[in-house]
Amino acid sequence: MPGVTLEVRELSKWFGSRTAVDSVSFTVHEGEVVGLLGPNGAGKTTTIRMLSTVLTPTGGDFAVAGVPSSRPADIRARIGVLPESAGYPLHQTGLEYLMYHGRLFGLARDEARQTAVRLLGQVGLADRAQTRIATYSRGMRQRLGIARALVNNPSVVFLDEPTLGLDPAGQREILTLVRTIAEARGTTVVVSTHTLPEVEQACSSVLIMNRGKVVVSGSVAEVTNAEAAGRQSGHLRVPPDQVARASEVLQRVPGVSVEVSKDVVTVTSADGMNTVLSAVLDAGITLLSFEVDGARLSDAFLAMTRGGSS
Amino acid sequence: MSARIIAGQECRDLWLSGRGPVLTFAYAVLLSAVTYLAATNQILNFLEQRESVNLVLQIAVAVGVLLTLVVAADAISGERERGTLESLLLTPVSRGSIVLGKLVAAMSLWGMVFVVAVPYLWVLGKGVAVVGEALLLGLVVGTLLALSMAAIGLLISARSSTNKVSLAASLFLLLALFAPTQLPAMPTSSVGDLLVRINPVTAGMHYIGLVLLKGHTWTQDLSYLISPVVTVVATAVALVVLGPRIVRLTGGVGSG
Repeated sequence: MPGVTLEVRELSKWFGSRTAVDSVSFTVHEGEVVGLLGPNGAGKTTTIRMLSTVLTPTGGDFAVAGVPSSRPADIRARIGVLPESAGYPLHQTGLEYLMYHGRLFGLARDEARQTAVRLLGQVGLADRAQTRIATYSRGMRQRLGIARALVNNPSVVFLDEPTLGLDPAGQREILTLVRTIAEARGTTVVVSTHTLPEVEQACSSVLIMNRGKVVVSGSVAEVTNAEAAGRQSGHLRVPPDQVARASEVLQRVPGVSVEVSKDVVTVTSADGMNTVLSAVLDAGITLLSFEVDGARLSDAFLAMTRGGSS
Repeated sequence: MSARIIAGQECRDLWLSGRGPVLTFAYAVLLSAVTYLAATNQILNFLEQRESVNLVLQIAVAVGVLLTLVVAADAISGERERGTLESLLLTPVSRGSIVLGKLVAAMSLWGMVFVVAVPYLWVLGKGVAVVGEALLLGLVVGTLLALSMAAIGLLISARSSTNKVSLAASLFLLLALFAPTQLPAMPTSSVGDLLVRINPVTAGMHYIGLVLLKGHTWTQDLSYLISPVVTVVATAVALVVLGPRIVRLTGGVGSG
């Protein structure tokens, strides 16, 4: 089991009488990619800002790469952060911007230049290194922000809404980059996002927050299955010429009700889906696809954040 | 070290992005017009050479203080609004170094304003042995005033909820400090003299006038420099003590 790189205990943040984060606890292991999910106002950004020492917690504590929260400057030296809605000095070039931040992290001028050039290459901005940031597209700025978050070779990277405002291609590009970072560097990545299908692919585990609390955490499969366990309906797609036979076979199974729409057979069973699948396969019917209601992360997300602000 | 890196970048941002050169150019145009009128205009050229030098030096100090304050007032609240402050706060650099770096950048504008004033003072003071003294006076008093205004500007900027609030508060303060310099013969009564002395701007300007126009020695009216010096010390202490606490992601009173 890889070591723990992020340990959060009873972390809370109050703004006046409003609770933004309420006694949040979780641990993240080395090399893990964690999706931090939740509706708007769930406390994701506040949590990331506390863990990156930009905000002071009202209660609780945490440790990043073994460094306790009482040493914020040491924590900042070990983390990389892409803030939500990060701004950029538009008159600077990408190279100047990364070199400046490299120097603030203690790199010598030459070292900062080499690091900046390498990172710009890794995020696909090598050919725009000498161009002013003002001319960058939103996706390019996000990639530059990710490069900035890696300038100090961090143990933990926090990415707050890295795909915000990007088209689907841009979102996929950023999440591929996130996966590459975690795999190539062994860096722990905590990514806050709303693009759930991509989270299913990019993240090894998820942490869903609602109204300042963690409502569920675990691997993507665990979270998804936990929500799907109580569900008893599913959708089978079979070849059009076998729809009638599938419906007939399934109606003979005790406790199963069947609805047919085009080539999709929707079944509801009191005993789960095993008997349904067995009956179809035993009858020699070709099963093109099978989907259980609630077996996607988005369903789990919606079920667990019901009543959230979004 | 970190403060030096920040100061270097802030100076590059100020002087290469266009704001610094544009402000300096506008100031140079103003100074050219005043110098030309003081030297040639039939109405204004009644001024004795010392008075012309004093006039231009006072304008240089006033504009220098104004520009330094405006740049300082934008330094933190402006970055906050542009979304670039968070990236800076996420580095291991101390808040004190951030403040110091920004202070140095703001002061670079005063340095440029002073340098630009040198040829104008030299032209107006040619023939009377006053240029050297005027330059030294301007450097000492102007630096004291610019430093204190830059520090006050940074404090206001760090505490303000928006950049507009920061700029408005700073300009109002400057107006309040400069307004008494336009009143006629302020120090003639004891109350007037007290008001001049406690206001660092009027005290500094009055001191320049006493040395340049009335030929007083530097030590003769040194007490007028008490309030500029006290203001510099007080604002520097406030920046050192409060800086780490008020340079944060959100501005305004009571923000998290």
